[in-house]
This record gives sequence, C-alpha cells and structure tokens, in this order.
Amino acid sequence: MNDQFDTSQLLAIIAPVLVIQLILVIIALVLCAKAEQTRGPKWMWVLIILFANIIGPIAFFIMGRRNDG
Amino acid sequence: MSTSSLIRYSVMVQKELLELVRSFKLLWVPLVFVLLGVMQPVTMFYMPLLLEKAGNMPEGSVIDIPLPTGTEVLAQTLQQFGTLGILVLVLTAMSTVSGERNSGAASLILVKPVSPFAYIGSKWTSMLLLAWGALSAGYLAAWYYTELLIGEVPAKQVIGSLLIYGLWLSFVLTMTLLFSTLLKSPAAAAFSVLGASVTLSLISGIFPKQMGWSPGALSGYAYQFVVGESFASGRFWLAAISGLFLIILALTASAALLRRSPAAE
Repeated sequence: MNDQFDTSQLLAIIAPVLVIQLILVIIALVLCAKAEQTRGPKWMWVLIILFANIIGPIAFFIMGRRNDG
Repeated sequence: MSTSSLIRYSVMVQKELLELVRSFKLLWVPLVFVLLGVMQPVTMFYMPLLLEKAGNMPEGSVIDIPLPTGTEVLAQTLQQFGTLGILVLVLTAMSTVSGERNSGAASLILVKPVSPFAYIGSKWTSMLLLAWGALSAGYLAAWYYTELLIGEVPAKQVIGSLLIYGLWLSFVLTMTLLFSTLLKSPAAAAFSVLGASVTLSLISGIFPKQMGWSPGALSGYAYQFVVGESFASGRFWLAAISGLFLIILALTASAALLRRSPAAE
C-alpha cells in the first residue's frame, strides 16, 4: 500500500479536508458580505479569505468584524 | 443557590449559546479543530511521497522514513491543538467580558437581578462547551484517520488523553476569562494568557520533578498517556486537582472583580 499511490485513493483521503476548507471559506464570505463594517476594506478581506488557505477565514472570523455580537 | 437564581443562570447560558450560534463560532471553531486533526495523520501518511515529489533529492536516492505509530500521530495532533487550537480558542474568547464591559452591555445586564456569579458562570459554561466540543470533534476525527491510514490506537488511551487535555484547555480558558475581566484590552488579555500558558507548560516540561504538580504539566501528561508511557500518577493527580482548584479560584476572583466594577471606568 505504501509504494503505490494512486490518484483516486489520494482524492478519497483529501476530499474531507477540501470540503471543510470550502465550508469555512463560504461561511467567511457570507459573513463578510453581511457585515456592516469590517476592519479595513471589504475587498481586501475577500482576497484574504479566498487566497490565504485555512488562515484567511480564521483571521476574518477573529479580527475582521468591527462589532461581533 | 436558590431555584430562581438557577433559572436565571440557565437563561443566561441559553443567551450565551444563542450568541455562539449567531456568531457562527459553534460551526467554525469545531471545523478548524477537525481540519487540524485530520491534517496530521494525512501529512504523516503522505510524507514520503511529498518528499519524493517536492524535494530536490538526487536521482535514485532512497528515502527511508519509518512511518510513525498511531499513538505518536495522535500525540502530534494534540501538540497541534496545543499551538494553533489554543490560539484560536483564546482569541475567540478574549473579549467575552471586556468587550461587554467596554460597550456597557455588562452593566445593563448586571442592574437586573443577575448575580456576577451567574454572569461569569454562564460565559464560562458556554466557553467550555465550545472548547470540549471542538476538541472532541477534532480528536475523534484524528483518531478515525489514524486508524484508517496508520495504525491502531486503543480507545482507552484516546479517551484518557482527551479528558486530560480537555482539563488543560479548560484551565487555559478559565484564565482567559479571568484576564478578560482583569484587563480592559482584549489583546492584552489574550497575550498574557498565551504567554503564561506557554511559560507554565515549558517550565513544567523542563522540571518535571519540581513542577509536575502544576496544571501546566497536564498537556505533557496527555501526550504521555496517549503514547502509553507510564508516568508518576501521584504527580498527575496533584496536577489535575491543582488545575481544578485554580479554575474555581479564577472563577470566584472574576465574579468578585465584576461585582466591584461592572462597567469599564
């Protein structure tokens, strides 16, 4: 099993990771769109959420919103 | 505690839980933990392939890295939770009290017949529910993937280390609550808690004989427990009891602090 890595097996293992990342990105984008005020321009946060893997959505959740309630 | 204050406490807890749902914390914090937990076994499993494809190894060189055992992978996962996981939890919890104090919401609530104890207690309950939920979800996901890809880990070791690690997380979060009542700035609270917890676990790691009783040693005991190493159980129980004692002390102290000054001056 160790000396042969086929792509379908790789995909099956990686798929849940990708799905979770996708969910995080979507939640962050929805919250970003709905937020009245963000810390810094909104388009900057969209770029961060989309392109900074994993860290981007987390950074937005923690510091992005002015008054999280 | 009379029945009416119990009812008020449960109402406050419900309010805190609603807030967790509304701010999506109940969704994204466990997801981050699951992601952290799954990544560790997967990267360990694919490490030889990654090195082969990405590294600038000369042609024909043989890479021989022994696959770690399942228990080792779970211990590494706990270490991941100890850095990134604690960072995320402390940062989400840092403004629980100071934020409401600065905005004046705390004094609005405390003029109603809600005791500071119920107020602090409800925040603490919701915080710990979130932390334990996220930790269990992430750790169980890591366990599942480890069994699938790497090797078997006995359930007893997983559950034991989960409980020990959960106690350590609870201790860190209670300290966050205390610092959040103590300091006005959320960033200062988060910084001092993270610094203190790192120092505490570092010191207890370096001097296990002298500092083995401190709650900072708990994360170390969790790693040892999952690997199956034997450790001084007397010292472990001392650490657990001192951790619980400090949690109760910190809760009492923050309630007392809040009673003295409900609003930021």
